[in-house]
Amino acid sequence: MLQYWTAILTEATIFGVLALGIDMIWGWAGDFDLSAYAYFALGVYMTIIMTVGKAKAPVEYVLGWRLPYLLAVVIAVVVVVAFASIIGAIALRNLRDVYFSITTFGAVWAIYYLVENFTPLFNGYNGVFGLFDPMGQHLSYNAYHYFFFAFCLLVLFLVYLLVQRLSTSPFGRMVRAVRDDERAASVYGRNVFWAKYRTYLFGAGLAGLSGGLFAAYIGAFNPLDWKPTEIFVLYAAILVGGRGNPRGVVLGSFIVYVGFVEMTRYIPSPAARPELGPALRQILIGLLIILMLKFRPSGLLPERLGTDGTSVQRSWRRWFTRSRRLPDPRPDDVASDPVIGVES
Amino acid sequence: MEPMLRSVSGDMSIFWISLGMGLAVAAILALSAVAFTLEYAVSNVVNLAHGEVLTIGAYAAYVSDTNFHQNLYVCAMIATIFGALAGTALNFGLIERFRNQKPLSTLIATLGASLILQNLLLIGFGGASVSYGFAQGSLLHVGPFLWTTLTIRVMLSAVVVAGLMYILLQRTRLGKALRAVSQNRELAQVSGIPARSVVMQTWAVAGAISGFAGFLYGETIGTITPTVGNGFLLLSITAAVGGGLGRPYATLGGAVVLGLVMSIAGTYTSSAYQLVFAFGFLVVMLLIKPNGMFVRGRALTVRA
Amino acid sequence: MSATALLEIESLSKSFGGVVAVSDCTMTIREGSVVGLIGPNGAGKSSVIDLVSGFEQPSSGSVRFAGVDVVGKRPDQISRMGMIRTFQTPREWRDLSVLDNVRVGRSDLERESLWRSLTSARRLRRQDALDTEELRELMAHYHLDELRNDRAVGLSGGQKRLLEFARIASAKPRLTILDEPMGGVNPVLGERIGEAIRELKKAGSTVVVVEHNLPFVEKTCDEVIVMDLGSVIAQGRFDELRDNKRVVDAYLGNDDE
Repeated sequence: MLQYWTAILTEATIFGVLALGIDMIWGWAGDFDLSAYAYFALGVYMTIIMTVGKAKAPVEYVLGWRLPYLLAVVIAVVVVVAFASIIGAIALRNLRDVYFSITTFGAVWAIYYLVENFTPLFNGYNGVFGLFDPMGQHLSYNAYHYFFFAFCLLVLFLVYLLVQRLSTSPFGRMVRAVRDDERAASVYGRNVFWAKYRTYLFGAGLAGLSGGLFAAYIGAFNPLDWKPTEIFVLYAAILVGGRGNPRGVVLGSFIVYVGFVEMTRYIPSPAARPELGPALRQILIGLLIILMLKFRPSGLLPERLGTDGTSVQRSWRRWFTRSRRLPDPRPDDVASDPVIGVES
Repeated sequence: MEPMLRSVSGDMSIFWISLGMGLAVAAILALSAVAFTLEYAVSNVVNLAHGEVLTIGAYAAYVSDTNFHQNLYVCAMIATIFGALAGTALNFGLIERFRNQKPLSTLIATLGASLILQNLLLIGFGGASVSYGFAQGSLLHVGPFLWTTLTIRVMLSAVVVAGLMYILLQRTRLGKALRAVSQNRELAQVSGIPARSVVMQTWAVAGAISGFAGFLYGETIGTITPTVGNGFLLLSITAAVGGGLGRPYATLGGAVVLGLVMSIAGTYTSSAYQLVFAFGFLVVMLLIKPNGMFVRGRALTVRA
Repeated sequence: MSATALLEIESLSKSFGGVVAVSDCTMTIREGSVVGLIGPNGAGKSSVIDLVSGFEQPSSGSVRFAGVDVVGKRPDQISRMGMIRTFQTPREWRDLSVLDNVRVGRSDLERESLWRSLTSARRLRRQDALDTEELRELMAHYHLDELRNDRAVGLSGGQKRLLEFARIASAKPRLTILDEPMGGVNPVLGERIGEAIRELKKAGSTVVVVEHNLPFVEKTCDEVIVMDLGSVIAQGRFDELRDNKRVVDAYLGNDDE
């Protein structure tokens, strides 16, 4: 039982790091990025192939180094950020809102099919494996898992501190101003692309880090493990916890991962229908996304307002009140809409 | 001289055959993409649950084929009806509820709907692929192309549906109202056009086209799975954005171009890379001409 | 002509597709003045603002701000040279508090470096806290102090206008361009906005006001530039232009000129 809980909590912790990264991109900068799961996957792949050693036929993959785990994770994060800098430069330059989402959606599927079919890269459909424990040889099986959980928890805590610090900093404030109205932000001297781009790369880096942790947790990885649609679970977690609030995002990841894994465990899944449990889980995720979006888009712990701290009761009262409705689009927005207002 | 000539003609025939298959897929893609673009036009929503409407159509036809032993035309009809029902339900149950929210919120909501529908289908029909019992028909040489009677039927029916849609858009009151609503819903409303019902009817029509396209697709590729619409959604998005999102005729053009690009690319690489090409095409289109290649006017920065 | 020219626009032209929005427009804004930019609907006033502030690129012509050619620069680059513009509708950062709106308006870009936000967060927070007193005074001046910890999206239309002025005042620009600041504003608030513009001038900013409310323009502006069909047709003091035939024709839509 304890082992079981350790496994679930380790997973929730790892995905907490990923959720914090994705929330920076979506919650702070307002870019609904559907390709972030590819950064996570790239982090996993890179970490594994840099630690398991040379590929033996018929398995094939690039690199095949045997580096220390932590060094491999650091390099993986660097590679992920470098990769995200290309996608981000393409998608963030001129495209916003649904167009940004469509682009990243297309990009992630293109990457997915490429990885799945181009075996020299990461062994294609069969994926990379070679279970390894970064500390395994020194510890017993159980002790290792507790240790690894503690390690992930520590990483999550440090990442949380970092993100929380950034969130309340002038940088976080500026990125949110860009999210809320980028024309107004550029009127006040802010380089919109640069603000979004830096946030994007930071978020992608966290996704890569989370992938590095996951690599050690799972030990084997193939395209079935990272269907781009898996990212919806993370968006559900962010929506539940509170978009734009790092504390809420961590809370949301634990609620969704622990809650949903637990809930679906009690759904009878007959041997003939192994897909039943996961399918119900996905349905619940879908419902969660829609209902949160409709009835409580700001989540359990809404984004914190930058106040001067003199009227705190206002912000905790917000716990119990529904967030305000969004107003109609502004006329200027309509004018720049590609369909409604193309100037000809 | 002679062997060389033969090899060239051999290459050419493969080229023509795959181009012929590409045309069949392009025809279905055109229907699906036009439905997708109509939804965007009236509701300003990128409907990521679009693929599931196709899948619902495909499965509806499958059920009436295997369980009720209906003939081809009845199955097609049932696919169309179920597609229309799904489109209407989606609009009424979801899109209208998110009407006053930002387009991005609606997009995320349709993502949720896509998850729900896809997994309901998975529970209902299982993950294994199924297929129709209809005959593939005989092989036919038409000019340089090599087609089956089935692919010819698919293409013809796609052309017929496209023609019907042209009549609907240009000649009927619904078409006129639809164009007004897509320009400005509030303005149309105050001008006495029943915008709500026009939007609803458009979703029904779009759903019907999608359901029918789903049936045609299932018939052409021969197998149906709960995720069959998923890949098609991406292609539809690519075609619609490539041609001109929210503009039916531009989308039609985009679908044809995409279908040709894919089938020509498919001649030289495996079919999986075909999709890589398709999404590469999407990204390039968004970069150089985000309004679509068949929309006049300068390339705008796309923001909403 | 004693003061130096702050903004020089020379034979500026812009057409969208086939429609000419601005054609051969030339004007000079002197440092320290409050200039009204008026003209009938579609005269090209807003287009000129978009061109000057970098949101659109001109087809031809030049724009010099403080002696520097700004054509081809991005809006944020132009803004950093000391130019702030508004839009026809107030644009607040909706999910930021009123206080944060004014804070961001201050444009202290040094503080927003990602690296410094990570390494010296506490010092940055202390710097922010030091500003609070000053910003609260500023907000009180615009009747916003009570609302400082509220989400900006909840403000009324008039309060959003005032927030815009508070933001501009905290940014201390050299040139302020206001696009219809009186749009949808009641007379009482109108008085306050007129006052705000005079205060901007006193604080050292040159102001350009695009406005349809002519009594307001007469009261607020030192000088008026009249545009029609994309170019300047007259420039001078308001009372001088009252009898100018071209101006009257432009406003009454008399085409047989």
